[in-house]
Amino acid sequence: MAGTGSGSLPRYIAQRVLLVIPMIWVILTLVFVVLRVAPGDPISAAVGGKLDADALAQRREALGLNRPMIAQYWDYLSSVAHLDFGTTFSDNQPVLRVIRDNGGATLSLTLAAFAIALVVGIPLGLLAGRYRDSVADVVIRLFGILSYAAPIFFVGFLLQVYVAQPLGLPTGGASSPMTAFLVTPHTHILLIDVFLSGNGTAITDVLKHLLLPSLTLGLLICGVFIRLVRVNILQTMQADYVEAAEARGISRGKVTRRHALRNALVPVVTVIGLQFAMLLGGAVLTESTFNWPGLGQKLVDYINERDYGAVQGIVTIFAIAVVLVSVLVDVVNALIDPRVRY
Amino acid sequence: MKKRMRSAIAIAGAGALALAISACGGNDNGSGGGASGGGGWILGTTDTVTALDPAGSYDLGSSTLEYNLYQTLLTVPANSTDIVGDAAQKCEYGDPKTLTCTLKPGLKFSNGDALTSSDVKYSFERAIKIQDPNGAAIYLLGSITKTDDKSGVVTLDDNAIETPDDTTVIFHLNKPDTTFQYVLTYPGAAAIVDEDVFPADTKLADEKVIGSGPYKLAQYKAKDQAVLQKNTDYTGDNTGGASQVFIKYYSDNTALKLAAQNGEVDVAWRSLSPTDISALKSDSKLTVATGKGSEIRYWTWRVDKGIGQNVAVRQAAAQLIDREKIASAAYDDTVSPLYSVVPPGYAGQKDSFKEAYGTPDVAKAKQILDKAGVKTPVALTLGWTPTHYGPASEDEMNEVKRQLEASGLFKVTPKSTEWEQYQTLYKQGAYDLWMLGWFPDYPDADDYLSPFLVNGGFFQNGYKNPEVNKLVAEEQGNSDQGQREKIEGQLQDIAARDVPLIPSWVGQNTAVYGKGMSGVESTLDPSFIFRLWLVSKK
Repeated sequence: MAGTGSGSLPRYIAQRVLLVIPMIWVILTLVFVVLRVAPGDPISAAVGGKLDADALAQRREALGLNRPMIAQYWDYLSSVAHLDFGTTFSDNQPVLRVIRDNGGATLSLTLAAFAIALVVGIPLGLLAGRYRDSVADVVIRLFGILSYAAPIFFVGFLLQVYVAQPLGLPTGGASSPMTAFLVTPHTHILLIDVFLSGNGTAITDVLKHLLLPSLTLGLLICGVFIRLVRVNILQTMQADYVEAAEARGISRGKVTRRHALRNALVPVVTVIGLQFAMLLGGAVLTESTFNWPGLGQKLVDYINERDYGAVQGIVTIFAIAVVLVSVLVDVVNALIDPRVRY
Repeated sequence: MKKRMRSAIAIAGAGALALAISACGGNDNGSGGGASGGGGWILGTTDTVTALDPAGSYDLGSSTLEYNLYQTLLTVPANSTDIVGDAAQKCEYGDPKTLTCTLKPGLKFSNGDALTSSDVKYSFERAIKIQDPNGAAIYLLGSITKTDDKSGVVTLDDNAIETPDDTTVIFHLNKPDTTFQYVLTYPGAAAIVDEDVFPADTKLADEKVIGSGPYKLAQYKAKDQAVLQKNTDYTGDNTGGASQVFIKYYSDNTALKLAAQNGEVDVAWRSLSPTDISALKSDSKLTVATGKGSEIRYWTWRVDKGIGQNVAVRQAAAQLIDREKIASAAYDDTVSPLYSVVPPGYAGQKDSFKEAYGTPDVAKAKQILDKAGVKTPVALTLGWTPTHYGPASEDEMNEVKRQLEASGLFKVTPKSTEWEQYQTLYKQGAYDLWMLGWFPDYPDADDYLSPFLVNGGFFQNGYKNPEVNKLVAEEQGNSDQGQREKIEGQLQDIAARDVPLIPSWVGQNTAVYGKGMSGVESTLDPSFIFRLWLVSKK
């Protein structure tokens, strides 16, 4: 069977890549429809409290909002195809620049959160699995449930009030205003640009600003990793080869570290990809809580302002990112485990 | 024993991890500090900026920067409603349809270009030509424009602006309008831009804007921060202030409050909630400064259908409303009771509602209804929105409901919806009485009268009174200020008699600042212009 065409890796990858197009089209269409179905429009959001109905109607016409929906939809799809999202209505910015300037902040936050989730979640999951039903296991499981279940804005607010203020850490933003002013945007990713600048004070400033938001977001994902690693460690520790290794006199700790952990981490790789969408969703809340200048916070602002172009642009980028990561995970899985292709 | 030891190790490990994470942050209070160094200071705000090109903005967030980056022909000095020259030495009416302005000599933009009458004319022409949906020009410059009935396109009147020489600008108005001079103070309609820099038919990108004001733009990151530096080419009177000012934008009042408490901003201005302000008053590191405000909140009656058609019902409700109680119960006294559609501080203002109704009185209200033969309790639908006027608006709605129902004369049904839907619903007549707010465009009582009282107002409540329309036209076309104030008083009395709306409160202009700051109080006035040049940090 392995030699048949349906099971070949290139064909599988091609199928997954081709599926990206309809997936993104569905998402784009949903975004377009939901925005138009929601009450209000950019004009009423901006100047609805000032102008009479005639003046508002004139401005809607000037913006093309009274054109047939199908024409607006076609323009939207055409612009996406050309990666041209136009200029935001509410703050006069090219949408691509908004994505460029703020995407870096979201990327930094999500990567740092991921790192924290891995660094905290995997060892704790290992510990809980290794010492099943001990006090440590109970505490870690409880911690895992809480960190997953606690609302981001609540955790963020607690950290701002009870950690940031006593420790002198910043409560929001990606850097102090002076750092943002002085650091030259080579890559438009502040975390990288600040290291390129070589300015020690600025580097410390940026890292301090990153700590609490990434911890808040990282804790969310951390709970998933704790539970996953723990369960896989428990299953692996019952496997025959572990028993055989222990029968040969290899210590339990060594078996856990060298054999069980490696096998237990395989499903985690898959879950990392699946958690990406959750991470982006969490980033929206984290950025809002910490006034983090990323795409998530911008998205919330633009939704409130009914800025169709901006929302469509940002959601498109989020959708493409999630779809590409999921395809990448599928491909990696197929490479690791040939059974996936059948 | 072994199991207990493992548990202890696990707990110790978790604790050490937590400590390590905390330690990464350090404890030197460094980045938490708002000090930007170099004599600069940081202003934190939740206001948003629509555009820094004046042709595309009509909001306070944009005008806060524009007042500091651009000059207008006239301006409003701090704590005054008397307008004075900014780029103009003087502007004088030859007659109510002709305004002549003479520019100050030697004016320059921050790029070194000379500012002449040609730039002034160009600024008005392009703002009207662009007619950006977010812009103020086509709305506020009606006295020099005409609108095509079919297409709705607004164009500048022929020969509306004359520039006989480099320093003279003559406006020929299409109707007698003495409020036009006040419009010239508002940058969204009248900021002067460099004709060699700003395109004639499109907006300029925000980060490229050039003005002739006391500051110039050094950096702009939309929704994040703006950095302003002193304009060395500025030749006007508004010198002083710090060499560099950072303006940091916050997504909500909670984030701004935390930043103020943590010293991440030196001044927090707009918009902290009443609860925030009360909390910050007890912080020894901070000072809460308050000046007179001009933002008002009012309740609008639907007068062309439903119970609001009966003026006695409207008057009875006006007789019952206890504004002082609203201010204390809903806003912790961070707002002041408002007894006219025009707030105190404006020439011509009078407390007409106080004169007409005195203190809240149930017996008088009942008498009004009885006399009109109105059966009580009157069922009334009260509209409000939780998503536009802040969290305290619900408290205000509850207080109004409580007051009306406590009289036994009204049975109130509150209805709320999100702001976007709210705007449609109140125009469609979904509510008998509904909450709205207003923020002035220019410092004259007319900006609180004509938008509300002429032909149903911008909110289309159905109130139409030919006498009001006539008086507004007279007031706008009269160059005798004393006469104007008299007419404005008449209009306020009519509003109290007919009650197309019930004024509720006028806000204060509040800022919170940290140690070392000076001059903040001096700019907190009803104009809501934050004059950065008046503020400095030791």
